[in-house]
Amino acid sequence: MSKHRLFAPLVVAGVILAACAAPPAPAPQAPQQPAAEPTQAAPAAPAQPAGDEPKVAGVDRRFDGVTLRAAFIGGGQYEKMYESIKDWEAATGAKVEIVYKGDGFEIDKKLKTDFAAGTGDYDVVWDHTSFFSQYIPFLEPLEKYFTPEELKDFSQAILKSATRDGHLWLIPRHADISVVHYRTDLYNNEQYKAEFKAKYGYDLAPPETWKQFFDHAEFFTGKEPGLFGTNFAGKEEALSGRFYEILVANGGKMLDENFKPAFNSEAGVKTAQFFRELYARKLVPADMTSLLWDGVANNFCQGNIAVHNEWFGWYSYFQDPKNCKVAGKFDLIRQPVGEGGIRSGWAGAHAFSIPASSKNKEAAAALIKFLTSEKIMYEEAKLGFLPVRDSVWARIIADAAKSDNPLDKKRLEIAQTAIANDFFAPPLIAEWIPLTNILTPKLQAIMLGDIDAKQGLDEAAAEVEKMLAEAGYYNK
Amino acid sequence: MLAPSLAIIAFVVVFPLVYSFYLSFTSYTLLKPVANWNNFANYQRLLQDPIFGQAFVNTLLFMFVTVNAAFLLGLFLSQAIARTIRGQSVLRTLLMVPMMFAPVMVGFQFRWFFNDQVGLVNNVLTSLGLLNGSIPWLVDRWLAMFSIGVAMVWMNAPVVAIILLAGTLSISPELYEAADVDGANSWQKFRSITYPLLGPFITIALTILSLDVARGYDIVSIMTGGGPAHRTELLWTYVPRVAIQESKFGLGAAMSFVTVIVTVAFTLYLFRQLLKSRIL
Repeated sequence: MSKHRLFAPLVVAGVILAACAAPPAPAPQAPQQPAAEPTQAAPAAPAQPAGDEPKVAGVDRRFDGVTLRAAFIGGGQYEKMYESIKDWEAATGAKVEIVYKGDGFEIDKKLKTDFAAGTGDYDVVWDHTSFFSQYIPFLEPLEKYFTPEELKDFSQAILKSATRDGHLWLIPRHADISVVHYRTDLYNNEQYKAEFKAKYGYDLAPPETWKQFFDHAEFFTGKEPGLFGTNFAGKEEALSGRFYEILVANGGKMLDENFKPAFNSEAGVKTAQFFRELYARKLVPADMTSLLWDGVANNFCQGNIAVHNEWFGWYSYFQDPKNCKVAGKFDLIRQPVGEGGIRSGWAGAHAFSIPASSKNKEAAAALIKFLTSEKIMYEEAKLGFLPVRDSVWARIIADAAKSDNPLDKKRLEIAQTAIANDFFAPPLIAEWIPLTNILTPKLQAIMLGDIDAKQGLDEAAAEVEKMLAEAGYYNK
Repeated sequence: MLAPSLAIIAFVVVFPLVYSFYLSFTSYTLLKPVANWNNFANYQRLLQDPIFGQAFVNTLLFMFVTVNAAFLLGLFLSQAIARTIRGQSVLRTLLMVPMMFAPVMVGFQFRWFFNDQVGLVNNVLTSLGLLNGSIPWLVDRWLAMFSIGVAMVWMNAPVVAIILLAGTLSISPELYEAADVDGANSWQKFRSITYPLLGPFITIALTILSLDVARGYDIVSIMTGGGPAHRTELLWTYVPRVAIQESKFGLGAAMSFVTVIVTVAFTLYLFRQLLKSRIL
């Protein structure tokens, strides 16, 4: 029976055939126009005195018999808000069925395929200022459901960044901007201070520049068992976004004014090399390339990271001593300055949109009004998220002033300063996420040493240019 | 009554296939879902795409190694259990445990096992004094492929073992008694009696195994997602990456069909080999 040469794989075509099944095509859409320049700055919300109890909205009309289908972001702190939906259901008679939950990147994939296929059948969807430009052909303009009076309390800068072609496409839920988190027990350690001064020739203090940030990461790595200097989210849009942020600080651009890739500039190479050096010198965990926001936050929470770039929204999680070893032992500082003399804070807002295919748009708008109302936003802001209503800002500033923990107040001051001065959002083009899907694997390859920084960025730039040319931004 | 069945099959199977084949000749993207005919542009592009080539080679290599490893382990387990006199039913039940896990769960489980900081494997190696530091199992190209392969084999070898165990137990004891009279040792009995008579069972096991491994998208997607930097990219992860994440649905469809053509050819070749071996 030596003829039994069966140690070879049988690949069954049906499996792959199944993967090829395509959805029916929806009606042709008009080509999109190149978007406007990236949003530059958002004003800080003014500190206002808190008034009466925060108000709810979207509960002044009955929708008996209506069931709304929703696709929302899930996990961690995001879930709390959904507990309030039962109150809206009781007030309006409608039902809300959350038919899909996932992280932002999972929802993005789900929405893109469902929208293109004409399936999905959602009434309300999670959205984001970085993502919504992709979905515009499938979204309902919202200005007809929200009066100027209803919108005036929202951050006008964020509403502006949610507006394209004269239409408002999303209603913001909360915002966030990058901020450096560092462990005070390490930075205040006298022995570490002396060692640092002896080695680097300047005082150990929270990093003011990205050069100092690197020095600190190098210094703290291995100082304690399992301690790494820093970490960054290392995949999906997250890595490209972090690269973009430091690129801007170093004086670079992602795209030029004609939408040609500009990230393979000298500033780009320096920025990519920054990530490469962090990885090559083992100043970040080896599995950084598999980390997203929750993984990065968890590493900091467990006390494994000395200093890193983070979002404000994790604040209550980090301050919970039951979950986090760093509770009460960390502080925040504005983003470091890059070689371009710029502090750059990558910013964006989580939001809600209504698909154009929804058959219950009025009810969907009412639900969004409720979820983004002063009361619900205030509850979310207590978790650490940055609100997008001036009235809620006033409330949390008033609350922080009464807090025993000075960081409660300081973080809001830093947030306001950062929003006013450091704020930048990705370009409002539909191809932003596809662009990052090209750039991120190249950045990973650069970090891992598979490819030289210049070569990797040049290759990514060529692919991005081709993609944008095909999308009609210019002729290649 | 044949017509309704044919109509349903045509609607569920044939129409999507034909439609996606059509899309593979178009510039259809998820951002602009309009099927503009672009001849063979997608096919030309994928042939020039080094990542597609890398994913293609990775997939063939991964299939070859994983299917063979799962088959050999399953064969070994089946023979070991067949010789167990006491507790065979318990062993058979235990063998079925991996089959009860959804592939997604297996992916999460092994992603944790091979996590370089808190993973079980590194912790065990460190506890035994075999490791100082950590091994980045899911980052290094070959270690990552190995780790995914281990998860695949863990999940699929029991299927092979159960099928081959059934085959082994169906072989007449008289054949082994006759071999004992002739003075055959265990290896000779396995080589001359067990293995040949297991032929049909092996065919079935390999077919099921190949199907299962070829549906391993969940495990790969959870453990590495084809990354980092395309290091563990397989066709199962690359096609959705191109078609959905990068929104190039037409190009993704073309990639799928090139894969289909090659795999159909490969399957035909394998069936001819099976016919030659007189198993079919």
